[in-house]
Amino acid sequence: MTVAVDSGLRSGLWRASPGFGVYVHIPFCLHRCHYCDFNTYESHGELHSSYVEALVASIEQSPFESPQATSVFFGGGTPTLLSTAQLAEILSAVRRRFGLEADAEVTIEANPETVSETSFEGLLESGFNRFSLGVQSLVPKVLAGLGRTHSGERALAAVAEARRAGATDVNVDLIYGSVWESDDEWRRSLEGVIDAGVDHVSAYALTVEEGTPLATLVTTGRVPDVDPDVQAERHGIASSQLAASGFERYEVSNWCHPGRASSHNVLYWSQGDYAAFGAGAHGHLAGTRWWNMRLPREFIAAVESGAEPRFGSETLSPSERAGEALVLGLRLTSGVVLAAFEARFGDASLAERGAEIDKLEGLGLLERSDGWLRLTERGTLVANEVSCRLL
Amino acid sequence: MDPLHQRAVAVIAHIDHGKSTLSDRLLQLTGTVSDRDMREQYLDRMDLERERGITIKAAAVRMEYRAAGGETYEINLIDTPGHVDFGYEVSRSLAACDGVVLLVDAAQGIEAQTLTNLYLAVDAGLEIIPVLNKIDLPAAQPDKFADELATLIGCDATDVLRISAKTGAGVPELLEQIVLAVPSPKGDPSAPLRALVFDSYYDSYRGVVAYLRAVDGHLDAKTPILFMAAGTEVDADEIGIMAPDAQPVERLETGAVGYLISGIKDVSLAKVGDTVTTRPRGAAVPLPGYREPKPMVYAGIYPIEGDDFPILRDALDKLKLNDASLVYEPESSGALGFGFRCGFLGLLHMEIVRERLEREFDLSLIASAPSVGYEIELTDRTRRIVRNPSEMPDPSDIEEVLEPYVSAMIVTPSDFVGTVMQLCQERRGELKEMHYLSTERVEIRYQMPLAEIIFDFFDQLKSKTKGYASLDYEPAGQYSSHLVKVDVLLNQQPVDAFSTIVHRDKAYEYGKTMTERLRKLIPRQLFDVPIQAAIGSRVIARETVKAKRKDVLAKCYGGDVSRKRKLLERQKEGKRRMKQIGSVEVPQSAFIEALKLEPSGQS
Repeated sequence: MTVAVDSGLRSGLWRASPGFGVYVHIPFCLHRCHYCDFNTYESHGELHSSYVEALVASIEQSPFESPQATSVFFGGGTPTLLSTAQLAEILSAVRRRFGLEADAEVTIEANPETVSETSFEGLLESGFNRFSLGVQSLVPKVLAGLGRTHSGERALAAVAEARRAGATDVNVDLIYGSVWESDDEWRRSLEGVIDAGVDHVSAYALTVEEGTPLATLVTTGRVPDVDPDVQAERHGIASSQLAASGFERYEVSNWCHPGRASSHNVLYWSQGDYAAFGAGAHGHLAGTRWWNMRLPREFIAAVESGAEPRFGSETLSPSERAGEALVLGLRLTSGVVLAAFEARFGDASLAERGAEIDKLEGLGLLERSDGWLRLTERGTLVANEVSCRLL
Repeated sequence: MDPLHQRAVAVIAHIDHGKSTLSDRLLQLTGTVSDRDMREQYLDRMDLERERGITIKAAAVRMEYRAAGGETYEINLIDTPGHVDFGYEVSRSLAACDGVVLLVDAAQGIEAQTLTNLYLAVDAGLEIIPVLNKIDLPAAQPDKFADELATLIGCDATDVLRISAKTGAGVPELLEQIVLAVPSPKGDPSAPLRALVFDSYYDSYRGVVAYLRAVDGHLDAKTPILFMAAGTEVDADEIGIMAPDAQPVERLETGAVGYLISGIKDVSLAKVGDTVTTRPRGAAVPLPGYREPKPMVYAGIYPIEGDDFPILRDALDKLKLNDASLVYEPESSGALGFGFRCGFLGLLHMEIVRERLEREFDLSLIASAPSVGYEIELTDRTRRIVRNPSEMPDPSDIEEVLEPYVSAMIVTPSDFVGTVMQLCQERRGELKEMHYLSTERVEIRYQMPLAEIIFDFFDQLKSKTKGYASLDYEPAGQYSSHLVKVDVLLNQQPVDAFSTIVHRDKAYEYGKTMTERLRKLIPRQLFDVPIQAAIGSRVIARETVKAKRKDVLAKCYGGDVSRKRKLLERQKEGKRRMKQIGSVEVPQSAFIEALKLEPSGQS
C-alpha cells in the first residue's frame, strides 16, 4: 500500500495555511524514562479500555467547527501499548467526526518493544500511514544510561518489520549529547538508522527537564549535567552525517528525505489549528490554546460525567500571536515568508521588530532572502537568544 | 542619693559571653524589673540587636540594691557595645564608670576584644571585678580560666567570681562585690557642671536622648545647657533616670547617671564623648577624651532597582540622625548606577547600616568592595584623600601613597600561633609583640594595613583557627606603600565597580582572582567576551567567556507551545533585568557574587 505524498504539505516548508490537525494522546508507558517530562504513566493497564471509551466519546462530543483533517497524530506515552483494535476504533472516531483528506498523514508513535510485523500490518490496515519509533540510541551503554529497556537490535528489527509490513514513512527518534555517549557512539547510532533505511530522523539534544528524575540526579551531583558545547558538536555531526545520506534538516531537530517531512509537525511550527483529545492534550484554534486535565482518571471521569475535560486555556493578543508565530516558524529551516506573515499579523508586526531583526542579521544569526526570514546555521543553535528578542 | 552610696559599673564581655543575660539577672535580683515583666535581653532596644545577639548602643540602668550590711546602694549599670567597630564608644562608657565587671565565658576564656577593653579599663584606673560566667555548662573549665584571669589582672585565682547568669548562681555575690570593691564617685559637687555624654540616640518622638554622667556639679531640669564640643545650645527640657524605664527627675547630682532630652533632632549635635555644661558661666574646660568619629572603611552602596535611589537617600538621612559616625556622599558608577559612597567605623558597622537600610526601608542594595581612605601625594606636591578606586590619579602623577595601618591584637590557642602568624605575614603584617596569657593561649600583636583586614581577614582567621582566635584592632597611623589601582575590563570596557587599590605584590593575584571569578559569573554571550585585569594600560590577567554555542529548545511541538513560550519570556525578562556593560549583558547577581567574596583569592 502506498500513500500519495503531497509535495506542498510534506515539503517541510513553513506554510501560511498549514491545514488542520488532530492530536490524540495516549498517556501510558511500560516504563517511564528518567528524562521524560511528558504526560505519561506506568502500568494503569486496567484503565486502557475505559480510557479508549472516554477518548472516543470526547471525539464524538467535540464541539469543534473545522475543515477536514489534513493530519492526525497519535502521541504518548506509548500509543502502541493499546491494541491495534483499540487504536483503530479511536482513529475511526476521528475519521467520523472530522473527516480525513485523502492524502492525510496519520502518524502513530511506537516503542520498539511494543510492535511486530503483524501489529504494523494491522495499523496500516486501519489507516495509520506513518510510524515514529522511539529508538533513542543503538549503543547499549547509552540505552542503559537513558533507562531504555529495549536493545539497539530490537529497534532496528522494528524498523525492518514496519518496512516488511509495507510502511512507506518511518521515522526514528534519537537522543544525543547525553553524558553516557561519545562522539563515535553517536556516529554509530546515526549510521545504524541510516542503514536501516528510515525516511525521517528526529534527533534531540538530551534536555534535563525540571521535575524529572534526571533533573534530581543532576542537581544532586549523581549524574553530570549535559554540556551544551558537546551537544552543539553532536548536532553538527548529525547534520553532516545525515546530509551525506541525502537527508535534509527541515527543523531544528528534524531531518528527512525530500518530501518526507511530517506535515502534522510543520502545522505546529506554522502555528496552525488542531484539535486535541486525551489526558493533558493541548489544542489550538485561532490564537486560543487550551489543555485538558492531565490525569487519565480525571479525564475519564470528566468525559463519563458529560463534562468538558478541558483544564485551562490562554488567548494571546495579536502582538503575542505574532511573536509566537515567529518563534515557531523560525524553528523551520525554511523560516517564514515575510509577506505572508505581514498579511496575517499586519504591517506593524514586523515593523516593531525591525530593529531587532536588523541587529540579529548583523550578528549573523538571521538572514533574509527571496522574501523569507530564517535562522542561519549558527543562529539555529542559539535560537532561544533570537526568539526571546522577537517575542 | 549621697555619693558614698553610688556605684557606676560597666560589664565588659565578648559577644555571647552572657552580658545581656547577666543584666537581666541583675535587674531581677534588685527588683528593678519584676519577674512578671522580665523578658530576655531586656536592655537591648533595637530588634536588630536582639536578633544579632549584640548591642550597638549602650544604655544605662539605675538599680537600688539593699546590701548584706543593710544599707541601700544605687548601682548604675552601663551597658557597653560589644564589637571592635565601637571601641571609642566603649571607651566613653568606661569613662563614665568607676569599676568594671570583666565577664568571661568559662568555656571560652577571654577574647581579644575583651582584652582590649580590659586594658582600656586598667588604663583608666578602674576597679576590675573578674567573673567567669556559664559555670553551669558541661564544657566550662573554671579553674583553668580563673588562673588565666588572675594572671592577667594580677589577683588571686580565688578572687575570680564564678557565676551562671542563666541560673542566677553567684549573681548575689557579684552584687555584694560591686558594692564592696567599686569606689564611689570622686567628682566635685561645688564645681560647674561637667557631664559626660556616653551614648546618644535618636527617638522619633522625643528627638535625641543623650545618656550622661554628671562628673562634676549637678544638672537641673529646664536649665540652659551647652554641648561643649558641638557648640549646641539648648535647654535641658527633661532629665531623668532609667529604672529601667525613663523616670523624669528634677536634678542629677554629682556622680549620677541619667538621660537628657533637649529637643535636639540630630545626634551629631549631641555626640558621644561630648561634655554638657550649664550656660552661661559653665565649665571652662571640657572633660578629656573627646574624639570625632572617624570612618575607617568606605564602600559604595547602590539600590538594585535604580528607581529606589531617592528612597536610599532619605533612608541614609534618617539613619544619620541616629548615627553620628555614618558619613555618605552621592556617587555614580557605570556598572551600578547612582548610589552613595559611605564611610563606616568598620565592617560590622557597614553590615549593620546595610541591614538596617534593607530591612527598615525595604531596599535591595548592592555594595561595592569595601575600601580604606588613602592619602596621596601628587608629583606637584599637592595631597588628596582617595576613598574610591575611581578617584585614584594616573600612576605617573603619584609621588607617594600613604595607607592607614592598624595595630591588630589576636588572641589564639597556642596550637594555632604558626597559622595565625602566617596569615598575618601574608597580609603584610609586622609582628610587634607576643605574650602568653597561659600555656595554652597567646596574645599576638601585629601592625598591618587596615586594607588587609577589611578583606575577609576575620573570616580567614576564624576558619584557620577552627573559630578559636579572636581579633581586635585600633588605628595606628599611616605609612607609605607601593599601591596600585587594578581595573577590570569586560570586552575592553572598564567596570568601575570592580576596580580596586591593592599592594603591587598582590595586583596579579587580585586580577587573576577577579577575572577567573567573573568568567564563571558572566553568562556566555553571542560573542567571545574577554575579561582583563589591568594596571593602567598593562594587562596583568585575562580570561575569556567563550561565545555561547547552543541555546535552543530541542523540542517544541503542539503540546509544548504555551510552556516553551513562557520559558522564552522568562529568558527575555532575565535579559531585560541585566546590566549592559558596553555590549555585554551582565546579570545583577554577577555583581553581587563578584563583590560578595573576598578579592584576594583565598576564599
